[in-house]
Amino acid sequence: MSAETHDQYNAGEYVLRLLDPAEEAAFERAMRADPSLQSEVATWLRGLEHLNISFSEESVRRSVKTQLMERLFQERSVRAAFWSRLWVWRGITLTALILAAVIGYRSFPGPATPPGSAVFISEIVAEDESLRLLAAYDPSVGGLRITRTAGSAPPGRVLELWAIVGDAAPVSLGLLPSSAKTTLPLPEAFRRATGLILAVSEEPPGGSPTGAPTGAVLAIGEAVDL
Amino acid sequence: MSDNLERLIGNVALGDRKAFSALYDATCTKLFGVALRILNDRASAEDALQETYMKVWRHADRYAANGLSPMTWLITIARNTAIDRLRRVQSAEDVDAMAERLSDKGPSPEQAVVARSEAGRIARCLDELDPKHAAAVRWAYLDGLSYADLARKLDTPLNTIRTWLRRALLSLQECMSR
Repeated sequence: MSAETHDQYNAGEYVLRLLDPAEEAAFERAMRADPSLQSEVATWLRGLEHLNISFSEESVRRSVKTQLMERLFQERSVRAAFWSRLWVWRGITLTALILAAVIGYRSFPGPATPPGSAVFISEIVAEDESLRLLAAYDPSVGGLRITRTAGSAPPGRVLELWAIVGDAAPVSLGLLPSSAKTTLPLPEAFRRATGLILAVSEEPPGGSPTGAPTGAVLAIGEAVDL
Repeated sequence: MSDNLERLIGNVALGDRKAFSALYDATCTKLFGVALRILNDRASAEDALQETYMKVWRHADRYAANGLSPMTWLITIARNTAIDRLRRVQSAEDVDAMAERLSDKGPSPEQAVVARSEAGRIARCLDELDPKHAAAVRWAYLDGLSYADLARKLDTPLNTIRTWLRRALLSLQECMSR
């Protein structure tokens, strides 16, 4: 880029976006080679910043943020964390059998259970095992009986339980109380173990403001039939 | 406010999603105002707003070095994103690249403080311009009009506009550096 070309456009024109795309590209090439042009651009931006008061504030629909957070974080937070924790699953079947006695779902009504409402269980565990919950679906109440056996919410945060099936967005099942045991209603769509993942995230008091996990996903577990 | 935003951007640069959420809450109405003014359409402005914050999430680590106030940095990204959308230029990389290059060479923090305290000069300096030229600068900055748009709006040949606006920008630059 010759000095002549530098003179052709100035940084003010570039900052104001007066130039056409080809000229903008040419200026950017020149700027890459010439640090003084970069300084000039920053100087123009600071010089013009007083005009920013002329941009009024406009209220934004809540769903815009929800969608943004989903686009940015959903896949990486829940699914990536999930796939990276495959090793947790290996122990699940055995653990599930052991837990059978602990939670006592053997006493769930057997013959009275409606068809398609099999008992299933999930062990939701943090990678470092600092948080551990057992969740068992109880068809007699249509809910998950949850027992927290290790860990708790970080200070000032609450634990929120999520259900994930396939590629669909996580659905909140509710907040976990500070008590170790609770029962949360389980929507019809999640009353089968096949492909069901349960996850616990930490959220601000009152739960995720967006409808999707916003805090760290602390623990994750696969549902398995008993 | 400014210190708080700087702290939030610093935390966003470290991948802190809570800080990102708080930064969004603190700034989205202003940035939406920028997008809406330029695009004049709520749905497009909402898309531009999301794109803006996605860039903020990716480029927060480049904020510290660029010497701009946090709001100016955020508004610059919002404004460029909206203008790109307005012009249907699908080269988001260029704006990303600009954000990147801005961080390469900025003033020292001391210079930035001086510059910020003098930012109000633009109003006085614009007043020194021919009112028509000052209006054109405002249209370009606030509404995203290019030389071509101004030529249509003012029904004046593009090269004429370019000649007098470049002269006006030189006066402005000279005034602001006084």
